[in-house]
Amino acid sequence: MSSKSSLLKVILLGDGGVGKSSLMNRYVTNKFDSHLFHTIGVEFLNKDLEVDGRTVTLQIWDTAGQERFRSLRTPFYRGSDCCLLTFSVDDGQSFRNLANWKKEFVYYADVKDPDTFPFVVLGNKVDVSERQVSREEALQWCRDNGDYAYYETSAKDATNVSAAFEEAVRRVLATEDRAEHLIPTDTVNLHRKPRTGAPCC
Amino acid sequence: MAETVQQENKRCIYFFLYDRSKVQEEGDLTRAGICYFYPEDTPMDQQELLCGQLAGVSRCVSELSSAPVRLLRLRKTKYAVHMRDNFLWALSCVADIPDVSVCAFLDQLIDLFCFYNGPVRQSYQLHSQEELAVCLARYLSHLQGGSTELHHIFSCLRTIDSTNIDPLLLLKAALILQACQRCPLVLAGCILYRGRVVSTQMPPELTVKVMVHETETFSQDNRLRMNGVTSGASPTSSTVTTNVFLTPSELHLLRYPPVDNRSSDTPQPLTRPRKSRLLSRTLSDTLISDQDPSEFPHLSYQTLPSSPRSSLSDESCFSPSPSLFSTPLRTSLKSQSEKDTPPESQEHSLPNGTLPNRGTGGSLGGSSSPVAKNEVNYQEGGRLGSESNISSVLAEKDKNADGNSENRQVNSLSNGVPSEQDEFSLRLNDRLAKLELTDDSAGSGDDRQERVEEHLAKESKEARREGVTERSECMSVRSECVSVRSECETSLESMFLYQHRVRGLVLALLVEPSFNTHPTAKDEVYHSSLASLNGLEAHLRTTSPGAPGAQGPYTFAHYDCIQNTLTTNVCGRSAGPQDRPFVKATALLHSHFSYTDTLQEAIIRNASCAVYGTRTAAQETYFLQQGTSSRNSGIPNGQDSAFSLPSKARHRLLKHGVNLL
Repeated sequence: MSSKSSLLKVILLGDGGVGKSSLMNRYVTNKFDSHLFHTIGVEFLNKDLEVDGRTVTLQIWDTAGQERFRSLRTPFYRGSDCCLLTFSVDDGQSFRNLANWKKEFVYYADVKDPDTFPFVVLGNKVDVSERQVSREEALQWCRDNGDYAYYETSAKDATNVSAAFEEAVRRVLATEDRAEHLIPTDTVNLHRKPRTGAPCC
Repeated sequence: MAETVQQENKRCIYFFLYDRSKVQEEGDLTRAGICYFYPEDTPMDQQELLCGQLAGVSRCVSELSSAPVRLLRLRKTKYAVHMRDNFLWALSCVADIPDVSVCAFLDQLIDLFCFYNGPVRQSYQLHSQEELAVCLARYLSHLQGGSTELHHIFSCLRTIDSTNIDPLLLLKAALILQACQRCPLVLAGCILYRGRVVSTQMPPELTVKVMVHETETFSQDNRLRMNGVTSGASPTSSTVTTNVFLTPSELHLLRYPPVDNRSSDTPQPLTRPRKSRLLSRTLSDTLISDQDPSEFPHLSYQTLPSSPRSSLSDESCFSPSPSLFSTPLRTSLKSQSEKDTPPESQEHSLPNGTLPNRGTGGSLGGSSSPVAKNEVNYQEGGRLGSESNISSVLAEKDKNADGNSENRQVNSLSNGVPSEQDEFSLRLNDRLAKLELTDDSAGSGDDRQERVEEHLAKESKEARREGVTERSECMSVRSECVSVRSECETSLESMFLYQHRVRGLVLALLVEPSFNTHPTAKDEVYHSSLASLNGLEAHLRTTSPGAPGAQGPYTFAHYDCIQNTLTTNVCGRSAGPQDRPFVKATALLHSHFSYTDTLQEAIIRNASCAVYGTRTAAQETYFLQQGTSSRNSGIPNGQDSAFSLPSKARHRLLKHGVNLL
C-alpha cells in the first residue's frame, strides 16, 4: 500500500488560459509569472508533501488547454490518480466546458469507474473582480456530477492553492483506502502454509 | 577509454599532440615532446619515430612554403596537421576519407580541447598529461562514435529524426530555450536528446562542442556524479556547471546575435553568420548592436571562407599566423618573397588559400580551382575501386596514392559562373580541351590517360611552384595561406556551461561567468525550465521510433551547410551494402565541392549506378536513382539517363522538404 501511494499522479485539465500552469507553479515553486507561454503538450513537477501524517510525492501534470494540442496531451491521462478540472471564474465558457473535459479524461484515461474516480474542481482567478461564474453555479455543478470538492483559487495571490492540491491528495488516499478494504475479499493468498504433516513416503 | 574508440566506425588511425618547444636541441628526447599519442598502447619507439618524422616534415614544408601545413599525404594514409603555438597536432585517417573531412575532424578535436580546457599551453601547465590524455581520448571517442559514415563525411551535427516527432515538440523545445534566455546571465542554449540535437540557439560549431559534455556527463551520471558543481534535485535530474572557453567571435555572436531576417528566402551565407533555423531568440529579446557583426574584427568565419563548410579554410580563430611561429629562416624567406612579388600575386598563387577577400573578390577567389581539381583527382583516384568505368572528362591515374589505377568519371555539368574563373583556370581548361582533341587522334586507352595525367601533373607542378609548395615523390603536401590574424588563443574567454539533465534529455546553456555566484540566476533557470523539460522528456520517450517509411527507389543525402545538418534516407549506423557506392560517391563529390568553389553540379558514376550531386552556398544534395539500366557506359551522350538525374532529384526530393528548384 505505502509503496503504491508514494507517487500520486494528479492531472490538471481545463480550457486554455484558465491558469493551470500558474496553479502548478504557484503550488510547487511558489512563483507567479503572468507572461507564461502556452503549454505545449504536457509538463509536470514533483512535490513531496505530508497529508494527515502520510508522506506522498505528488506528481502534478499540467496539460495544454488548446484543442490543437489534444493529440499530444491525451496519451498522458492514463495512470492518473486524480483529475483537477479547472476553469476560470471570469470565463463562463471555460466553466461550461468542464463536462467535456471530464468526458475526455474518462475516455482517454480509461477510468474503470467514473462515478468513484476522484475529481476536484478548481475555479481559478478569483482575484479578478468581473466574475462570470458564481460560486453557487459551480457548487451546483459539482453536486450534480458526483459530489466533487470545489475550490476557488487564485494562482496570482496564492489563495487556496495548497488547500486544493492537498484535498486532491486526501481524495486519492481515501479512494485507495476504500479499495484496500476490498482487496482481502476477492484475492487468493499465495503464501504457502507451512507443512505440518510428514512426507508422504 | 580506448575500447570505446575501437568501434567499427573507427576513423582515426593515429593521433598525436606534440610540443616542439620541448625538443629543441640534439640531446632532447623526442618522447619529451609527446603530449598525447593515440592509440595509447603504441610502442614508444614507434611514437617517437612518427612524431619526430612528421614534426620535421611539417616544419620543413611550412618553412619552405611560408604557409602552415594542413595535410600530409603518405602512401596509404594521410595526416591532417595543425601547427599552432609550437604545438603540432596530427591526425591520420584511412585514405578513403575526404581531405576536407579529415581536416574537419582534426579541427573539431582541437576546438573541443580548447573549449573545455582553454589555451593548450596553459592547460598543460595547469593539468597533468594524464588528466588531459583522458580528455583527449574522450573527445576522440566522441567524434568517432555514434553516427553514420555520411555524418562523418560532412562532420555534421547529429540531430533528432524530425520525421517521427511532432513538430510541436520542436516548438516546445525552442520555447524552453527562449524562456531560459530571459533569465539573467544566460546567453544561449540547446536541447539534446540521447546525444542528438532537438533545438539549438547556438551556431553549429558551438553546439558540437556542447554535445561532448552531454555524453560525458551522461556516462558520469551512470557511474558517479563527480565532476563540477553538482546539485542533484532528484535521482532523474541533475544540474552541472562546467568551465568552458569561448573565442571572442563566438562570444560576440552570442551576446549580440544578428537579427534574423526571414523575409528573404535566398540564403546569404557569405555575409550571414551560420546559424540555426531553430535559433529562437525573439526580436524583443535581441540586443541590437550598432556594430555590424560582419565588421567585427574577430568574426573571421562569417566573412572569410567562400565555402563556409570547408574546413580546409582555416576557420579557427587560433590558426597560426605565419609570422607568429616563424623562425629566422622563415621570416627571411617570407620577407624575401614579399620583396620579390607584389603581395597580391603572392596571395594569388597560393593554392586553396583562404584569402581575406575571397568571399567577395570574384576572380581572385577562383584562382585555386584548377589546381584544386587536379589535386582532388590525384588524391581520390581509385575511390570507387573496381566499380569505376573508364570514360573521363577529368580523370587521371593515381599511381602515387595507393597504386590503384582505376579511374572514375566526373561529368562537370556546369562549371559555375564564368566570371569566377580566372585566367589560369581558363587556360588549363583550354589546354585540356586541346589535349583531348589531339589525343583522340593520337591514341586511346592507357596511353591517352597517361598523357592527360602527365599534362595535368605538369600543370599542377607549375601551379605548385608558383604557390611555393613542395611535393616530394611519395608525399604531397598541400599548404594553405592563412590570413594574418591576431593571436587570439590567449584571449579565449572563460564562460560557464550549465547543464540540466532529465533522463535522456539535456538542457545546455552557455552562461556568463557570474552565473555561478549570482544569488538567484541558477534557481530561476532551473525552475523556469524544469516542468517543461520533464514534459518534453516524457513526450520524446513515448514517441515511437516509427517504422522507416517506404524508402522509394532512390537514395539521397541533403547537407545543410548553414545549420550543419544532414537529411538522408540512408538509415542505420553503417550503410548497408546497397548504399556503399552511394556513400563513396558522396564522399568523393563532397571532396570535389570542397576544393572547387565554382563547381555546382556533378555526376559521378560507375557501370551500375550514377550519383548526382548539386550544391549551392547553403546546401549540398546527393541523389542516386536506383534501378536504372546499366547500358550507359563509355562516352557520355545526350540520351544518357544520367542526364535526367537532376530533374528526377528535383521532383523526388520535394517531398523530403528539399527544394532544388
